[in-house]
Amino acid sequence: MITPEIQWIAILPEIALAAGAAAVLLIEVQWKPAANRLGWVAGISFALAMAFTIVQWLTASDALAVGQIGSLLGFSGMVLMDGFAVFGRLALLAIMGLGLMSGWRFVTGLGRRGAESIALILLATAGFSIMIASNNLVMMFLGLEVGSISLYVLAGMTRDTSRSDEAAMKYFLLGSFASAIFIYGVALLYAGTGRFDVLGMRGFFSGVIVTAPAVILIGIALVIVGLGFKVSAAPFHSWAPDVYQGAPAGITGYMAAMAKVAGFLAIARILITGLPQYEQSWAPVLAGVAALSMAIGAFMALVQSDVRRLLAYSGVAHAGFIMTGLVGGTFTGMLFYVAVYALQLVGAFAIVAAVSGSASSASDIDDYRGLVRRSPVLAVSLAVLLLGMAGLPLTSGFVAKFGVFAEAWAGGFEWLVILGVLTSVVTFAFYLRVIVMMFMEESESDLAAPSTPVRWAVGLAVLGTVLFGILPEPLLRLAADAFPL
Amino acid sequence: MTPMVEALIFILMAIAAIAGAVTVVMARNPVYSAMGLLGTLFSVAVLYVLQLAHMVAAVQVIVYAGAVLTLFLFVIMLIGVDKSEDRDEKLPGQRLVIAVLAGAVVLIAGGLTFFADFDWVPAASAPINPDLTNGTVQAVAEPLFTDWVLAFEATALLLTIAAAGAIALAHYRRRSQE
Repeated sequence: MITPEIQWIAILPEIALAAGAAAVLLIEVQWKPAANRLGWVAGISFALAMAFTIVQWLTASDALAVGQIGSLLGFSGMVLMDGFAVFGRLALLAIMGLGLMSGWRFVTGLGRRGAESIALILLATAGFSIMIASNNLVMMFLGLEVGSISLYVLAGMTRDTSRSDEAAMKYFLLGSFASAIFIYGVALLYAGTGRFDVLGMRGFFSGVIVTAPAVILIGIALVIVGLGFKVSAAPFHSWAPDVYQGAPAGITGYMAAMAKVAGFLAIARILITGLPQYEQSWAPVLAGVAALSMAIGAFMALVQSDVRRLLAYSGVAHAGFIMTGLVGGTFTGMLFYVAVYALQLVGAFAIVAAVSGSASSASDIDDYRGLVRRSPVLAVSLAVLLLGMAGLPLTSGFVAKFGVFAEAWAGGFEWLVILGVLTSVVTFAFYLRVIVMMFMEESESDLAAPSTPVRWAVGLAVLGTVLFGILPEPLLRLAADAFPL
Repeated sequence: MTPMVEALIFILMAIAAIAGAVTVVMARNPVYSAMGLLGTLFSVAVLYVLQLAHMVAAVQVIVYAGAVLTLFLFVIMLIGVDKSEDRDEKLPGQRLVIAVLAGAVVLIAGGLTFFADFDWVPAASAPINPDLTNGTVQAVAEPLFTDWVLAFEATALLLTIAAAGAIALAHYRRRSQE
C-alpha cells in the first residue's frame, strides 16, 4: 500500500478559500440569506487564508534558516512553500479583499446569483494561488485554468448589455487558446527534459550540456506566448481593452490585477528558476515583448475616449514595465512593481465602478468631467492612483519603476531602460489628461455617494500608493526575501 | 511489433487524423463536421495504443468519441441540421493574407530547422520507468492517487467552477421577465 505524501501546511490557504466557496454555495442553497451574511462567510475564509499564509511565511523562513529546503516541498514536489509563493499569495489575497469590497455593490445587485459570484471570486483566488505555488507545470496549468475559467464567467455575469456577453465570449475563446498554447509549451519542455517539475528541469540542465535543443526553445517560446496573453503583454494584448470595457466595472479591477500578478509570478518561476541556463535565449525575447508592450500600450492609450480602455492600454504598457524587471534574471523589482500596480489597478477600477455604475459596460471619459465638483474625495483619490501608475516621485509607482529599470540596466539591457523612461513620459500625458478633465472642467451631472466598502477599498489603495512611495523599505525587503527556491 | 509495421500504422492513422480535422473545418453540413471529428478522435486513439497507452486510448474512445461527440450531435440537432453555414466574409482577401503569413512562418521555421544546427531532443533524457509504460489502469491509477493526488483534487475545483459558472450564467433572467 503506497500512501501519498501530504503536507497540509503547503495548501492551507487554498483549502480555506475553497472551503469558503463551498460554504457560500451550500448556505445559499439551504437558507437563501441576505448577501451581507454571505459576505461574512467570504470574509472569514479570507481572514483564515491570510492567517495561514502568514504561518507559511514564518514556517518557510524557519526552514530556510536551518537549511531544511526539502520541507518546503509538498505533495511529492507538486507545490512549493517558498517565500516567492507566499509573497504572491499575500498579494493575491490583498487583491481579493479589495476586489470583494469594491465589487460588493455589483455582487448584491446580482440578486440570487450573487452567491455564485462570491464563490467564483474565492475559487479564482484559490486557483491563481495554486498556480504561483506550483513546482510542477501540470499543477501550474490546472491552477491557471481554475483561475481563468472563473474569470471568464465573472466577465459575463451582467448580461443586460451585449458588451458584457461579447467581453466574456472574447475572453473565453482567446483565453482558452492561450491556455492551449501554454500547455503545448509545457508538453515540449517535458519532451526535452522528461521532467514536469521546475526544480527538476533546472537540475536536468545543470547535469547535461545541450547546445540548441529545438524542442526546449520552442517550448520556452510557447510558454512565454501563453502567459504573455494572460498578463496582456503586446502583441498578445488585443483582448484586454474589449474585455476591460465590457466586463462589469465592479469586478474588472480584480480580474485584471489577479491575472497580472499570477501570470508574472509564473513566468518568473518557469524562466528564472527552471531554465536559468537558457537566459541567453529567453531574455532577449522578454526584452522584445517588453519594448513592444511599452510602446503599443503608451501610444494606444493616448487616443482612447473610454477610461476603461485607457486603463487597459496602460495595463499593456505596465506589463512591459514589469517584464523589464525580468530580463536581468532578477525578481525583486518585478515583485514590488506587480504588487503596487495591482493595488493601484483595483483602486482605480473601484472608482470607475463608483462613477459609471458597478454593472455598467462603458465609462466614457466625459463622465469624469468636473468630477471634483461632484465628489472631491473620489477625484483626488483617482488622481493619486493615476499619478502613482504614471510613476510620480513620492508614489509607489516611482519606486517600482526605478527598481525594474535599475535591474534591467544592471542586466545589460540599457536600450530597454531608455525606451522605458521615454514611454513613461508618454504615459504621463494620458494620465494627466484624465486628471485635468476631473479638476479643470465644469460638472454636468450628479453622482450618488460611493458605498462604505468602496470607500474603504479606495482608501486602502490610495494609502498603499502613498505609503509605499514614501516608505518603500518594508515592502522592498519583503520582496527581496521572497526568493524562489 | 516490428518498427516497419509501427511506422505504417502511424502514417495511416496520422493521415486519417488530418483528413478528419480538415473535414471538421471544411464540411458545410455540421453533422459531417462532427463525423470528421469522430474520425480524428478514433485515429488518435489508435496512436495512443501504438504508444502502449491503452488506458488513455480507452478513455479517448469512451469519453470523447462517446460522450462529448454525442453532446455535439445533440446540440447540432437542436439548432437544426439543415442550416448550412453562411460563408460570406466581411473582410475581403483575409484568406490570402493569412495564407501568405502562415506560409512565411512555415518557411522560416523550416529554414531554421534545416539550416541551423539544432539537436531536437537533448542527448540524455531522464530514464523512463518501464512499469509506467505499460499503460494499464493500475499504472495510471497508482501515480494519480499518490504523486499526483493534489492535481487530482485541483480538478475537483475545476468541476465546482463549471457547475457554479453554468448556474450563474444560465440562471439569468431579463429584468422584464422577473
